[in-house]
Amino acid sequence: MKKIGITGGKGGTGKSTVSILLANKYFKDGNKVVLVDCDVECPNDYLLLGKELKNPRERIYTDFPKLDKSKCQKCGLCVKTCRSNAIFQAPGQYPIFIKDLCSGCSACWLICPHKAIKPQKEETGQIFVSQLKKNYWLITGLAKAGLEETGPIVNQTKKFAMKFAQEKKADIVLLDTAAGTHCPVISALLGVDSAYAVTEPTPMGAVDLDLILDLCRKIKVPIEVILNQSDLGDKKEIQKIVQKHQTKIIKEIPYSKKIVQAYSRAKLLNFNFTWGN
Amino acid sequence: MKICFSVSLPKFDSLIDPRFGRAPYFLITDEKGENIEVIKNTGVEAMGGAGITAAQSVVSTGAKVIITGNLGPRAFDVLEASGVKIIIGISGISVKDALEKYQKGELKEMAKPSVPNHFGIGQRFGGGRGN
Repeated sequence: MKKIGITGGKGGTGKSTVSILLANKYFKDGNKVVLVDCDVECPNDYLLLGKELKNPRERIYTDFPKLDKSKCQKCGLCVKTCRSNAIFQAPGQYPIFIKDLCSGCSACWLICPHKAIKPQKEETGQIFVSQLKKNYWLITGLAKAGLEETGPIVNQTKKFAMKFAQEKKADIVLLDTAAGTHCPVISALLGVDSAYAVTEPTPMGAVDLDLILDLCRKIKVPIEVILNQSDLGDKKEIQKIVQKHQTKIIKEIPYSKKIVQAYSRAKLLNFNFTWGN
Repeated sequence: MKICFSVSLPKFDSLIDPRFGRAPYFLITDEKGENIEVIKNTGVEAMGGAGITAAQSVVSTGAKVIITGNLGPRAFDVLEASGVKIIIGISGISVKDALEKYQKGELKEMAKPSVPNHFGIGQRFGGGRGN
């Protein structure tokens, strides 16, 4: 089973579109394919594939701290320990937990010497499974709106997807990440065999490509570049970044009205795209 | 009573910084403008929760009034819960001038936060989702 990440840094470069086109290709080549939408704050692969998110297959829970005032000695250790700045305490008062800053890391209840903080489960996400074709599935992770830290939702989605892929004896797992280089993107990319950075020939595309290639070097993920809408801008900056990171552009996708149409009409599943080799 | 100002520079003639959580310094003084104390705002470097970090340092100084430009909802809630008097909408003037207005009773306490979360970060975050 091969795990491939699709990322890119900048938003709107076509990560989801390319993920689907690539998944289509692997499927056509005779592989059992699981596509995983790891952009849990704003998953959209299901939309492009004309699916709906109904009946979650699994629910994701996160533990949040709850204070037992009868045990709290107001020592302030939890406030000092919290790296998310999610605990506030006015002098002489009980600590206040700010849930939308809390990542559920558990440090506060582990450190509390008076056992005054208890973990309390709360639903923070859902996982959906859509069968696209025989031997071709989409798994979507969806974080609860407003959740500050979504890396754990990506981790849970991935864990579910890997188990699912093993049960189905899948050959390929494609992980479509969010834009950026922050926690949810890192969570999606950790442990993949290789990745593709989908970018576009714009200055922002180049800057963000530099960041994502740097990240992948740090987390030891081999990565190559797919240049989308390759004929619409200036490729020079992209080429410079690619050279700097000693990788290569493995595919250029020129602007195509047909792809845009298929995308807008949610018809990417059966789109006939020629990848070559 | 200690009064806290969000300031751009660590001195009494500094302008009030329009941000709370991301202001570089806090200047704390009494009603007469004496016993001045300046603290660095560690919230500036925070990835998230800058307002909470800043509010934590400010209440730890014992300040009972905060005079600043803007305050987000999280910092507002915890400061209000701590019984701190919040005065927002003050910027573009010096600490000295703001204090004078306060002494004359020209500054009013606010009942609502003035800006959404992450306001003080400007364009650094959240701009990466182009179409």
